[in-house]
Amino acid sequence: MSSPFSINGGACVAMVGKDCVAIACDLRLGLQALTVSNNFPKIFQYGEHVFLGLTGLATDVATVSDLFRYKVNMYRLREERGIAPRTFANLVSSSLYERRFGPYFVSPVVAGLDPKTGSPFICGFDSIGCIDFAKDFIVSGTATDQLFGMCESLWEPDLAPEDLFETISQALLNAVDRDALSGWGAHVYIIEKDKVTKRLLKGRQD
Amino acid sequence: MADRYSFSLTTFSPSGKLVQIEYALNAVNQGVTALGIKATNGIVLATEKKSNSPLADPSSLSKISLITPNIGMVYAGMGPDYRVLVDRARKVSHSGYKRIYNEYPPTRILVQDVARVMQEATQSGGVRPYGVSLLIAGWDEGILPEEEVEAAAKPAEEGGEAKKLSGKTGGILKGGPMLYQVDPSGSYFPWKATAIGKSATTAKTFLEKRYTEGLELEDAVHIALLTLKETIEGEMNGETIEIGIVGPPADHLLGVEGVEGARGPRFRKLTPQEIEDYLTNL
Amino acid sequence: MDTLVARYSRPAYHQTELFTEQEQQDLVDGMPSLSLKFAMPPVAHPSAWLRAATDDRSNPACPIKIAHGTTTLAFRFQGGIIVATDSRATAGNWIASQTVKKVIEINSDLLGTMAGGAADCQYWLAWLGMQCRLHELRHKRRISVAAASKILANLVYQYKGMGLSMGTMCAGVTKEEGPALYYIDSDGTRLAGNLFCVGSGQTFAYGVLDAEYRYDLTVEEALELGSRSILAATHRDAYSGGFINLYHVKESGWEKHGFSDTNPIFWKTKLEKGEFSNVTSDFSERV
Repeated sequence: MSSPFSINGGACVAMVGKDCVAIACDLRLGLQALTVSNNFPKIFQYGEHVFLGLTGLATDVATVSDLFRYKVNMYRLREERGIAPRTFANLVSSSLYERRFGPYFVSPVVAGLDPKTGSPFICGFDSIGCIDFAKDFIVSGTATDQLFGMCESLWEPDLAPEDLFETISQALLNAVDRDALSGWGAHVYIIEKDKVTKRLLKGRQD
Repeated sequence: MADRYSFSLTTFSPSGKLVQIEYALNAVNQGVTALGIKATNGIVLATEKKSNSPLADPSSLSKISLITPNIGMVYAGMGPDYRVLVDRARKVSHSGYKRIYNEYPPTRILVQDVARVMQEATQSGGVRPYGVSLLIAGWDEGILPEEEVEAAAKPAEEGGEAKKLSGKTGGILKGGPMLYQVDPSGSYFPWKATAIGKSATTAKTFLEKRYTEGLELEDAVHIALLTLKETIEGEMNGETIEIGIVGPPADHLLGVEGVEGARGPRFRKLTPQEIEDYLTNL
Repeated sequence: MDTLVARYSRPAYHQTELFTEQEQQDLVDGMPSLSLKFAMPPVAHPSAWLRAATDDRSNPACPIKIAHGTTTLAFRFQGGIIVATDSRATAGNWIASQTVKKVIEINSDLLGTMAGGAADCQYWLAWLGMQCRLHELRHKRRISVAAASKILANLVYQYKGMGLSMGTMCAGVTKEEGPALYYIDSDGTRLAGNLFCVGSGQTFAYGVLDAEYRYDLTVEEALELGSRSILAATHRDAYSGGFINLYHVKESGWEKHGFSDTNPIFWKTKLEKGEFSNVTSDFSERV
């Protein structure tokens, strides 16, 4: 009922397409039943083609996103290069496990393109850093069950960027419409080799 | 009580020198010569294995060490100090990198970590600087796409000659071979080819003459042996010479077969037999 | 008897309750001993067990989740009574339905609203409809809202502590009473009043309703106010949403004013009236 993961609500999903990936989140920030904000994005960018989605306890979403901003900036200064999605995923994993006995209450999702090969990369984590590598899609947040249902039925391999946008948008919008704690608008990122497109979705406001 | 007042032994002389570091360099310059040469497709590290008694078993002595599967290291100076640094380098490449990113550190990152260890010994209480210089050779995977690496190599070719460069000249971005020297002060330098130890000056003069751009690994091994021959005091054979190379992935050293995507270490030491083979062709 | 009842049952509110002689008979001896009809859990203290198992207010970890979460409102005004509700049913955070009818048509003159346990409300308001019909058949006249609401209040009181969960409003217009509105909940509370909001979104609805409410609202203004109050609640309350169910109760009976999706109404309200400025309407693409 008042699990830290479902106090504030929120949903996030990432999907693989043909030579592209997509990641999307809702915008709600709530305190149990009370909707406090409808402009609380849960996707953060850490490189040209590296994105992180964070759902869970909002204070931890803010803390963890800032922590990785710091860690990735330090990485970039030290190594004089941007971080690759797979490397970033391992950094997320090890950073979360560092808090094994007092975890951040977040469920992260990483999406990006490998800088060397350009191949899509997505993965998800539990709150203490166990990585779930997936070839199709990753979901997280209070609408996880609904998102799994939508993704299982809508997703297909090798979707072109525009089709992937349509698929991930429909999956998210329809999933959050069946979750009391998610919704109130959405952000979608379509990540291609030489273009990243961000779109704002008009969602139900109830 | 004594540890509370432990000042660093390395203190500035009135003329602004850190004489302890200069003494450490003296120790290095008395050490057995070691050298490294960077080729387009790899690196060679070479040194002489000297024993002052015919009763010693040379096969148990090893001066070139693997740090990560793609990085190797050799030294000139004090052997015991070197072994400490090898241990620290291996440890820090895991605790400071692989356990965080699940991949091995690029050469420069490892070099910086080792250099930090050596620098700390020049500024801490109760310690002395390490009496070694190191040559660290490694191969970086790089993160740029192949096309961009090729494109980056284009301007270099505008010189006119149709040099057959792979475009990879090392570094974190493009990937490829890298060769560094680290000194007791903690300073480090990247090299195309260099030598450290007793006959470093002679060896470097020789290398300057023999080194060419676009060198292949096989030629580099050849040059390394020729350079060593100039400076060596004893006999040259598979037992008295040590060679480590960074080359193509050595899948036969993997220990397993049929694992998709698994690649063997790029760094490996040549066996005495392999060294003998090179020597006969010298 | 009249004075006795009036003394003990009349709320602070000034509306007088008119019970006829027959109605009082209904209230006193018309009560069937319904408790015998329900299978009880075979434990020593059924009510305590039920409370632990089904009441998520007293036990947040209760194993049986009953559909909760609602916004319902009703208010009296010069033209009768407006009754409005949302249509969302939730079980935990799961939205079980967006098309629940939370206004229960007890008969052609009486309306009940539904908040709390959906099954409890549905069952007992239907049962109340039956009691009202029996009253009509027995006495050849319509039951008063006061009496109907009291039948329900007495019923839930019998089951007090056994986990019934209802927050309901009974609305009707009769010749004797005029527009009459009662709030009844499963604790046994029964209140008459001008204006009630019930459910998890009640505070949000009160916010709008209290600000704009007057008794002399026109019918059109009253319908709009009811709708706007529910809209505000669906926006801010996670457990309210779906459709706005609007009714107008008059002496001639109730009249339905639509079951309309909140989504188009929300954007219309925002864009045309400039309200809900907290929500962005700028969806231009950004790279």
